[in-house]
Amino acid sequence: MDVALSMAADMKAKLFVLAVIRPPEPAESAEFHAVLEDGQERYEKHFVSLRERAKQKDIELEMDIVLGHPAEQIIHRADTIQASLIVMGKRSHTILHRWMLGSNSERVLRYAQCPVMIVH
Amino acid sequence: MANTWALSALWVGLALAATLLAIWFKISTALSEIVVGTVAQLIIGVFLAGLFGFAQGGLAGNTQWITFLAGTGAIVLTFLAGAELDPAIFKTKWREASIIGLAGFFGPFLGCTAVAHYVLHWSIMPSWLCGVALSTTSVAVVYAVMLELGFNVTEYGKAILAACFINDLGTVIALGLIFSPFTIRTLIFVVVSIVVFVGLPFLTPWFFREYGGRVSELEAKYLLFFLFAMGGLAVWAGSEAVLPAYLIGMVLAGTVGKDHALIRRLRTLTFGLLTPFYFIRAGSFVSVPALMAAPVTLLVLFGAKSLFKAVAVYPAVRIHKYDGKAGAYYTLMMSTGLTFGTISALFGLNHQIITQAQYSYIVGTVIASAVIPTMIANSFFLPRHLLPQTMKSSKAEQRIQSPVPAEEG
Repeated sequence: MDVALSMAADMKAKLFVLAVIRPPEPAESAEFHAVLEDGQERYEKHFVSLRERAKQKDIELEMDIVLGHPAEQIIHRADTIQASLIVMGKRSHTILHRWMLGSNSERVLRYAQCPVMIVH
Repeated sequence: MANTWALSALWVGLALAATLLAIWFKISTALSEIVVGTVAQLIIGVFLAGLFGFAQGGLAGNTQWITFLAGTGAIVLTFLAGAELDPAIFKTKWREASIIGLAGFFGPFLGCTAVAHYVLHWSIMPSWLCGVALSTTSVAVVYAVMLELGFNVTEYGKAILAACFINDLGTVIALGLIFSPFTIRTLIFVVVSIVVFVGLPFLTPWFFREYGGRVSELEAKYLLFFLFAMGGLAVWAGSEAVLPAYLIGMVLAGTVGKDHALIRRLRTLTFGLLTPFYFIRAGSFVSVPALMAAPVTLLVLFGAKSLFKAVAVYPAVRIHKYDGKAGAYYTLMMSTGLTFGTISALFGLNHQIITQAQYSYIVGTVIASAVIPTMIANSFFLPRHLLPQTMKSSKAEQRIQSPVPAEEG
């Protein structure tokens, strides 16, 4: 997030922050709704401090929380808003984890229609 | 007493491990707990028999308190599932919901019963039980996909969601009534149930307004009282306690279901203590040697569930304006159902309707039908917004901006 903020400040660009809540698979009734509500609350807390930081750097900021597969949602939103660049973090996962879930950053790199920056 | 605490520590330790696995692999805690229960039972059976009284029946043992906690977990979980119904959607979409929901129930119910009886040569009662257990769907899976694609706000999406409730209602009613002898007790149970289901939506809001909102958690005690009382009556009548629990959840969906603070407290109780005992116990009865001895049985049941769900649901979905891949997608989504599948199978095992081997095949099929579509989707990943225009256009029009369910629960 630090990288994205400083890039947006340097380039006087608009920053769009997307948080994706990934439901457990397979979704089970009560747990699914609990995950949704928890995710919503958690990201909204993050957004409060983020909004402050963006304000200090005079960055135009837009934020949203969506549900679904992270890679798909990131690509879709980037297409919708015609993003110039996607900045995303990379988590180091085990081979088993990657096989089970797939690497989000790899999928975004593969399918995105705009440049992608992966921050380690 | 020492044994009780040691056993408790073991169970909660397993629940903790299952939760960590669920977090790491982003899978549902229920699924993780079932698998952990199965593996733990296998390990204990081979290496640790004799410790903590395991020799008397393995991980689940014959301890009444474990059975009580597990049973309460199933009841409260079923109540919460019923309470997620949106009465407004149901009122406007009852016709479409009934057609798709009943098709989704009767197709696999009758089809899987026939396959179990004529192909696997199970006797008639285990075959019916198999049909019931494999007839379920998962409201949450369908809802998750709809939120993701933005279909939850469309008229079609609402109908499909309500259909899932009808489908599961069919499963719960079948489970509650097919295996119980019709006696005067059944009649008393039905009459009392009707009175309670009609009265609760009026009594509950008034009672909570008058006495609720205190530290003593009166609301939770009130709900547990009715769930236990109606569960007790159901069992007395030879039925199953989850039947009234689901119906109480549905009739209170418009009142209790919208009280987010109360639902959250119930979730804490449910996930923190009760459901781990239920799902780990359900998993512990799965016999891995039985599954390995006849894997074809598992394939046959999985194939039957998928086939009959598709044959029944796809035409019903098509006549309600879903066509092509969208229709197929919803049909696939309606082919899951972990909670009610395991509840039905465990009911059969507890009542000696099915053997442990049959239980293992049914639970194995339930798990496979929940996991395999997800694994396929992840392995052959394609961004869903690149799907054909029929889905893409609807999605673009109706896309949600927030994942918060619209008064869904």
